Amino acid sequence: MNEAMKEGRYIYSVVSSAVESELGDVGIGESRVYLVPCGEIAAVVHSCVAEPYVTKDEEKAKEWVLEHSYVIDLATDRFGTLIPFSFGVIFIGDDDSVRFWLEENYDLLKEELEKVRGRSEYTVQIFCDEDLIKEKIVTSDPELLKLRDEIEKMPKGTAYIYQKKLGLKVKEELIKETNRLAGEFGVYIEELVDEVKIEKKVSWIPDKYKGMMMIAAFLCLVSDGNVDALGNLLDGIDKREGFSVRFSGPWAPFSFVQLKGT
Amino acid sequence: MDEKNLKQGLLGLVVALVEVIQDLVERQAIRRIEGGSLDEDEIERLGKALIDLDEAIEKIKEDNDLEDVVNSVMGSLDDVAEDLLNKFLNPESWAEEVDEK
Repeated sequence: MNEAMKEGRYIYSVVSSAVESELGDVGIGESRVYLVPCGEIAAVVHSCVAEPYVTKDEEKAKEWVLEHSYVIDLATDRFGTLIPFSFGVIFIGDDDSVRFWLEENYDLLKEELEKVRGRSEYTVQIFCDEDLIKEKIVTSDPELLKLRDEIEKMPKGTAYIYQKKLGLKVKEELIKETNRLAGEFGVYIEELVDEVKIEKKVSWIPDKYKGMMMIAAFLCLVSDGNVDALGNLLDGIDKREGFSVRFSGPWAPFSFVQLKGT
Repeated sequence: MDEKNLKQGLLGLVVALVEVIQDLVERQAIRRIEGGSLDEDEIERLGKALIDLDEAIEKIKEDNDLEDVVNSVMGSLDDVAEDLLNKFLNPESWAEEVDEK
């Protein structure tokens, strides 16, 4: 093998398993996916050339990412909650290199696997009808209500400026109110989950929720036994007038495993 | 990107910046009124001028199909401002980010 064709191992995840086994030709580009065990843990890999998966073809890229996710789902079904890797991580070397890495980081990986055992990641996004909350803010504040009534009687130009003023005040209150609500919901959710994080960048939301204001986005690590209770709590929020909740999962715990230091 | 896209993107950026300025001017007008330095006529004239500005911007957006471009520029500006504010308010996260790099 020349310099440009170094051997590599594409890694999908680390699972709890002490024995060698195979998942079949289910990997990216129908690669044969198998386990490289070390003690009580194992890496799920396929053999490849140590070069990054790069393409300009968007469809191809999507296909690869889906195949990557499929292997993670399959391994989760078979071995329980695992440490997932993002798309595109390749070890330079052979099975021994992977095994060496597992050995080096054994305690950390074992600890992380223990932490996520019997748990999954869920995303919770809470949306509200902005206009409805704004209306509530105005009608519950005598000063704002008075200003709104006065604006109706003002001449056009003056009304425009005061309308802006009202809008700014309402917006300020809207931010306070949605922050308060997000905090309140966060406290309820926290009681039912093992760990919660704020999802900073929500990359995609379904059309159904477009036009609504997102007031909170949480990533939650939830024990299997608590999923129904969390679902019920969120149902309750979803049923409140003007609110809508998107609850999705179970996902592999991408947001809750720590691979820093490996 | 073809020439039409480039023009639309550039015009969208300009209009978005004008909207930012419009917002500042409107806030300043409110402050002046609250400060009591304008009489009723002046307020009305100022308000009408702001309406004209608003209508002109809306027309440019409509004529050039810029609504989406401007929204996307505004969204990006919001993200930049949000990031910056977070870093001012929470310097520890900044330090962590630097450490990670």
